[in-house]
Amino acid sequence: MSEFQRQHPVAAISRALGLIRGNLITILVFLFVGASSDEFNLLWFIGGGFGFLLVLGLANWWRFLYKIEEGELHIRSGIFVRKNLYLTKDRIQVIDITSGIIQRMFGLVKLDIQTAGSSSREAAIEAVTLERAKEINRLLRDSSDSNGNGEVEGVAGDIEQQEQEFKQEIALPGKELLIAASTSGSFGIALSILATLFSQIEPVISQSELFEYLFGLLPSQSDVLLIISVILIFVIFAWLLSFFSTLFSFGDFLLRITDKELVISRGIFEKKRITVPYNRLQAIHVAEGMIRQPLGYASLHLESAGYGDEKGTGSIVLFPLIHRKKILALLDDVFPDYTKEMEGIRPPKRSLRRYLFRSAFIVTTITAGLYWLLELNNWIWILPALSLVWGWLKYKDAAAAWGRDLLILRSRAFSKTTAYIKKNRVQDVSLSQSWIQRFRRLCTIQVHVASGDQGKSFTVRELDLDEAYLLVKELKGGVSMNELLREQEENVRWIALPGWPRQATN
Amino acid sequence: MKKTPFHKLTPRAIRVWQLGNAVGNLFFFGIPLVYTGVFGMSGFHFWVVAGSTTVIFILWLLSIVLFPYLSWKRWRYSVDSNEIDLKRGVLVHTRTLIPLSRVQHVDTRQGPFLRWYKLATVTISTAATTHEIPALDEVIADRVRNKISTYARLAEEDV
Repeated sequence: MSEFQRQHPVAAISRALGLIRGNLITILVFLFVGASSDEFNLLWFIGGGFGFLLVLGLANWWRFLYKIEEGELHIRSGIFVRKNLYLTKDRIQVIDITSGIIQRMFGLVKLDIQTAGSSSREAAIEAVTLERAKEINRLLRDSSDSNGNGEVEGVAGDIEQQEQEFKQEIALPGKELLIAASTSGSFGIALSILATLFSQIEPVISQSELFEYLFGLLPSQSDVLLIISVILIFVIFAWLLSFFSTLFSFGDFLLRITDKELVISRGIFEKKRITVPYNRLQAIHVAEGMIRQPLGYASLHLESAGYGDEKGTGSIVLFPLIHRKKILALLDDVFPDYTKEMEGIRPPKRSLRRYLFRSAFIVTTITAGLYWLLELNNWIWILPALSLVWGWLKYKDAAAAWGRDLLILRSRAFSKTTAYIKKNRVQDVSLSQSWIQRFRRLCTIQVHVASGDQGKSFTVRELDLDEAYLLVKELKGGVSMNELLREQEENVRWIALPGWPRQATN
Repeated sequence: MKKTPFHKLTPRAIRVWQLGNAVGNLFFFGIPLVYTGVFGMSGFHFWVVAGSTTVIFILWLLSIVLFPYLSWKRWRYSVDSNEIDLKRGVLVHTRTLIPLSRVQHVDTRQGPFLRWYKLATVTISTAATTHEIPALDEVIADRVRNKISTYARLAEEDV
């Protein structure tokens, strides 16, 4: 292995597909714009695009070399600019062996090598044979066993090496998977993809008899009904699309826990496997979506430093769907060192007005404008009313609490998010006041944690200024929550966080 | 709440910002220009162009005469062995605390305008965010940068 090696040629294909996935939005925009011009030939465009990407993938494959010498992985890559990446084995934290659809078709695997830095994303070997992967494992692993965090494990399915002991394994029940898929938030994305596709197919359809057939189906109905039914069909298709994409990406979900790390594997066709060492963990957050919350469900996420996906964020789905009664039990199992329940402060009464105003202002203005311009039905005023309810929900859900080493922040955008942040993971804390907030002695507090090679922020709005100052002081290692408790014993704004019932251990 | 004193930026910062805004915000005059290019100047369109140009002109003047001064007036920073404390913002007042143990690296930067006025910007990066102390005197900027990097080394912990 001390000579430079190339990957398996299949890497070229998987690279090309990766490029498509990474630039999906750009491609969609191009298709969308292209559809509106007459001289645009869809087939030529798609064919040319694929050819170009394939050439790019091949060039990338040809120029990608790796070797392992004296416990150091050396990757040389880049078509025009040659980049040399050196990773010594005691810097390597985790090596994940995964296999996507392409890799599995050819019986190959992919190696993801993670370090603490942000270079991890470049240190992936797209396609190698299993024997080669095992050899790389062995070579990069030998001495790092001594410091303990260089463990290497096998992967899902046939590659599984039973050399590691998992303390616990938690799978996602089928019922939960179905609920997760049917309430998934990737709905909007699916809708936009469909809209693009439709803009491509539309000229074909309108020339065929399909439209006349549809018109025939709805005799004597107005155009409005036709539009509504078209929209309805769209929505149903988008829902189906998001249903199946969630089903496929979260099927076979399994969360495994060892002493030092969490191993999350998921995916039916494309197997994904993510290893998160506990010392990389920055924050945990529980999201209760607008649709899922009334059903009593939530999803669990975590932020990890150093691990970056294609977009560079370190947000990882810890558990796609869980009933609220089981949240605390699961968190207790996985993160025993986090305090889950605490007393916290809410925004004072005077901030309700701000919440309502901020939520309803834009919606009301737009509604009024449209109502006036388009002479819409009075029913449209339901939208501002809903936005008021939304504002009230945001007010009701906002809260902050802190303990000796932990911070809990809760707020709602669309979904209600409860974040657990260890104090020593806080990168910075900001307290800001707009001029209206200054007038009312309110402020907004924002905390940043590291996530991937970027950051992730958690914000709570319209807290009382003095209380927020106490929180900031506390993060500096000053007063404890108890001081505030003593000061304001009469205060009715104390609430218990996080507010999920704890089920008797099953 | 705080024992270490807050420092202000150099008054020369106002000059630099004025210059920067005067040049940079010329860009916004492009909006009515493009509008004229697309729709012409006749009738209704004339009023749109005239109105927007006036508004942009007034904002442009304000961004030269008033905003740099207000921004300078609000800016405060302090660095001690535990954290960096930044106060800023004209309409929205923001106060940011960065624990020194979180600081990953500090830079000083100089664009052409800043160099002209012998000023420099100190950039503080954590694992999540990047903050700036803009337009400090070159010498002070170097001193602040060295101070932060010394303190950061002392406060070193794991990520």
